Amino acid sequence: MVKVGNSSRSFAKTLAVKAVKAAAKGVVFYLVYLVAWMFIAPFSEVIPGFQEVIESFVMVYLVLIIVGEFASGSIFQYFFSAARILFVIGYMMYTLNGGVFGMTVENVSLMVDLRLFMLIAIVLSLLGLAKTMLQAISYMSEKAEPRLI
Amino acid sequence: MNVSIRMIGVATTVFWVFIVIFAVSAMYSMKDVRFEFGEPQVSLTSEGDVLLFMPITVVNTGYYNIKNFNATTLVFDAESTLIVRGSTLVPIIETGMEVATGHNVTFSVADLLQKSERYLFEDVALRAEERIGLWAAEVIPVEARANVSLLWGAPLYNFALGAPQYSAYNVTHMRVEIPIGFENHAFFDLACNISVRMFDDSSSLLGVGATSVEVLQHSAYDGLLAMYVAVPTLETSTSGYFEVSFASSLFSYGPMVIYYG
Repeated sequence: MVKVGNSSRSFAKTLAVKAVKAAAKGVVFYLVYLVAWMFIAPFSEVIPGFQEVIESFVMVYLVLIIVGEFASGSIFQYFFSAARILFVIGYMMYTLNGGVFGMTVENVSLMVDLRLFMLIAIVLSLLGLAKTMLQAISYMSEKAEPRLI
Repeated sequence: MNVSIRMIGVATTVFWVFIVIFAVSAMYSMKDVRFEFGEPQVSLTSEGDVLLFMPITVVNTGYYNIKNFNATTLVFDAESTLIVRGSTLVPIIETGMEVATGHNVTFSVADLLQKSERYLFEDVALRAEERIGLWAAEVIPVEARANVSLLWGAPLYNFALGAPQYSAYNVTHMRVEIPIGFENHAFFDLACNISVRMFDDSSSLLGVGATSVEVLQHSAYDGLLAMYVAVPTLETSTSGYFEVSFASSLFSYGPMVIYYG
């Protein structure tokens, strides 16, 4: 009875710690977003749908951070981490139209070539993905190591 | 293994921070770049070519330099055929700098008129495409395009010859006066020689006359061209045609046939 009580208390404590960590990470990420937004906000007046695109990205990324944090200590945290990285790559390619971003305002058409940026971002993301996979392999190998009874 | 994984993590984080800061600051920096396009000025060169001059001022108060600022103008005729292409390049505009430059585009009136006589007698809407290209923060290529309509004003707009007016000159000849009327819609003053050859129905030459006209831009001309025609030939002719030729320093055109009677 006491053992069961201790176990559930330990689980609650772990959960609380994870929740605090997730909240902290979420708040830090959101603060970074707010600071960055202060600088790029003027463009939302010129580029239609700019704010929605950024907000959608931040929302999904934040959810994946929080869920990943709750799944920490298990193999699933690496799944969520990989999902987050793949989401960044996919969303970037989708919204930036393959790196060449174009828009038309009244009579003026504007084209911004962000392929170099996108390439660097994708390389960094793939590096992050490789890191996550290595972490997952390391985690699984640690789990599989024989233990002395 | 854990150490190397951590190192990869640290390295990617550092690069991510750098790239995000650079991207955000580069975007923010573009807010402080100002382009001013002055009123385009059209004039004639001493060689008789049309010179389009557009003053451009770039004020870069952003954080980064601008590389390869390039202004290109393409002028297309009514059939979308390229008439002229001109570009101006400023290799670098450093931060805190104000660069005032002029964008020149030159094209020959004679070449334009060779394409079609419409440009002499009709106002034609030409299409000009303005392209501004630059490398923001020296690494991000940006290009803006705008289409503008450019009205070509015909120098001999609505050119017409009126009905010939006959008056006695002497026993053998009659004086024939032909009213000439047109509007100079062009952006240049027109100095032109107009010569008229008068024929009857059987294509026999009745007489020849010429006049010099000087018409200011955007103004109309109404005048008379006189010629002397032998009485016996004129008496048998009540209708026929004129052959009109134009010669100026900018163009030569003719003969253009206009029927009378």
